[in-house]
Amino acid sequence: MTFEVLLNQVIGETLTVSICRFGPELIVSATILVLLLNRLFGIDRWVAPYWTTLIGCMIALGYATNQYLLLQQGTLPAGEYFTGLMMFDGFTVFLRIFLLLFLILVTVLTVLSGIPDLEDGPDFYTLLLGSTIGMMIMSGANHLLMLFIGIEMTSVPSYAMVGFLKGRRQSSEAALKYVVYGAGAAGVMLYGISLIAGMLGTGDMPLIAERIGQLTGTASNFESPLVRTLMLAIVMVFVGLSFKLSLVPFHFWCPDAFEGASAEVAGYLSVASKAAAFGLLIRFCLALTGTIEGAASSPIYLFLGLAIGFVAMVTATFGNLAAYAQTNVKRLLAYSTIAHAGYMLMAVAAMMVLLNAPSGAGLTSFERQELAAKSIEGLLFYLVVYLFMNLGAFAIVALIRNEIYSEEISDYKGLARQTPVLCVCMVICLVSLIGIPPMAGFFGKLFVFASVFQSAKVHWAMWVVFLVGAINTVFSLYYYLQVLKTMFLDERPEGARTIDIPLNPSGWYVIFVTAPLLLLILCTEQLTQTARTVAAGLFL
Amino acid sequence: MEGVDLKLFLLVGAVLFVCGVICMTSKRNGIGVLIGVELVLNAANLNFVAFSRYTPLGLDGQIMALFVIVLAAAEAAVALAIALNFYNNHLTIDVDRADELRG
Repeated sequence: MTFEVLLNQVIGETLTVSICRFGPELIVSATILVLLLNRLFGIDRWVAPYWTTLIGCMIALGYATNQYLLLQQGTLPAGEYFTGLMMFDGFTVFLRIFLLLFLILVTVLTVLSGIPDLEDGPDFYTLLLGSTIGMMIMSGANHLLMLFIGIEMTSVPSYAMVGFLKGRRQSSEAALKYVVYGAGAAGVMLYGISLIAGMLGTGDMPLIAERIGQLTGTASNFESPLVRTLMLAIVMVFVGLSFKLSLVPFHFWCPDAFEGASAEVAGYLSVASKAAAFGLLIRFCLALTGTIEGAASSPIYLFLGLAIGFVAMVTATFGNLAAYAQTNVKRLLAYSTIAHAGYMLMAVAAMMVLLNAPSGAGLTSFERQELAAKSIEGLLFYLVVYLFMNLGAFAIVALIRNEIYSEEISDYKGLARQTPVLCVCMVICLVSLIGIPPMAGFFGKLFVFASVFQSAKVHWAMWVVFLVGAINTVFSLYYYLQVLKTMFLDERPEGARTIDIPLNPSGWYVIFVTAPLLLLILCTEQLTQTARTVAAGLFL
Repeated sequence: MEGVDLKLFLLVGAVLFVCGVICMTSKRNGIGVLIGVELVLNAANLNFVAFSRYTPLGLDGQIMALFVIVLAAAEAAVALAIALNFYNNHLTIDVDRADELRG
């Protein structure tokens, strides 16, 4: 094959197949360019940067939704694109829609709370859009290189966003901590990737499972040095992913970064980067075990699944216990984010355990995949619910901060009398975070715990995970209710700043974000149905 | 390059990685920590290039190394800007002095 033939082939594939599958990312990239050019030519004085951002995101969202519909009809088939670097399937498109929708909501929030002023607007929205592109790449990564590029593209703008309030001491400290930990974790992960790619001779994720099988052969225990090196490399990649998910013991950055950053940025990081990292984690786990019908189950991956379950358990417990002592709302929500990452990780652990059930468990390979798809379905449902409850909580914190200039819980005393709308919405968000029916958060937890319950039939250790998860839900009651008690039952002290948020756009925004938590109960069936098709698409 | 095999390259890479990790964890100076990160990234790069020479990874390894160099540069730029901002606010880049946020 001559170079010319090869080149024509690549160009042909790029123009006919790849570009249209990569559309949403390209549209967001174009929005960034428009933002920067507007600033260069001074157009941003007439057209506010947030309008450019919103319009760009809406077009991208429309495009992604269209892709989803075409995918369901089968006119735009799922498959690899960009010569196998990226993957286009229901899972990718679902996460794209999720991220773009969230991006629009966050942009509206920043407009209402006014965190980037008109002068800084283009910078802020460039960073916001840039990190979202990274997240979309993470959700579609099909190659170890794209995995790393996606994570870096997400992280680097996030560091800058955390330190965006340049003059604040806390903000600069938070950004420094975030960048130091983040760069370290990324370096360790890259070393792991280099070992995996070198040992297997490929970076293509769909080939990994097969190559591992060839490499280790029958030596599927820890005796063989090859298996041990490979496990070390896999653990190194998990270090990078756990950092993004803020799992114990890589969670230090999370409370500090959230406290130092503005509430809008914290809300953005807590939802979007978690969702993208979970997408990537699922892809990586499936690449390790292989998704082809009849893929051999391996005791090593069963062990890996149990290890993930252990980390999930510790993370959820730690997050909930550490939240008790917090006096700052954003810090409290940061620990609550850590705890929720733990709950969601339980679904991933259940997936790994179910997928690698030993033959003694009496599951056929088809049943194993079906049950594993069920865990992913639960996780996706949880993510959607989590978007609304966490964004709602952070939005309320941001709006209250604009009025009373404080994020300390003690300053929230008696707010319910002055701003009933925000406080009632806060109740809905926090109660949903606890997981009390009929809030949507309850169903998310229910689905995740149901899959952990299924996996407990495969291995007894998952019973422990299940029980710890259930007990954690009770733990978390106290600190969420503490905030509500301060807001509703305490008297507003004399001389405290008054707050007045009537039903202006901010009030309506908060109602709009929290309403799905109550309304989702009406359309649980549709959402689970969508999540089910998306999850099943991963195993085709 | 005759007689030099993959093991030696991997050994150098591993030594670089360990040096980088030690540098990251023990330095108090923010810039020192970032230098440690660079060492770790370059250890991985050395692995990629060595693997591309000796294993079926082939050109993929070199392409990956190129991308990593670019990403490392971008990361270093942002990290240095953040370190400078920290210096402006605290008049030091000692990472141990970043202790106002805790709990």
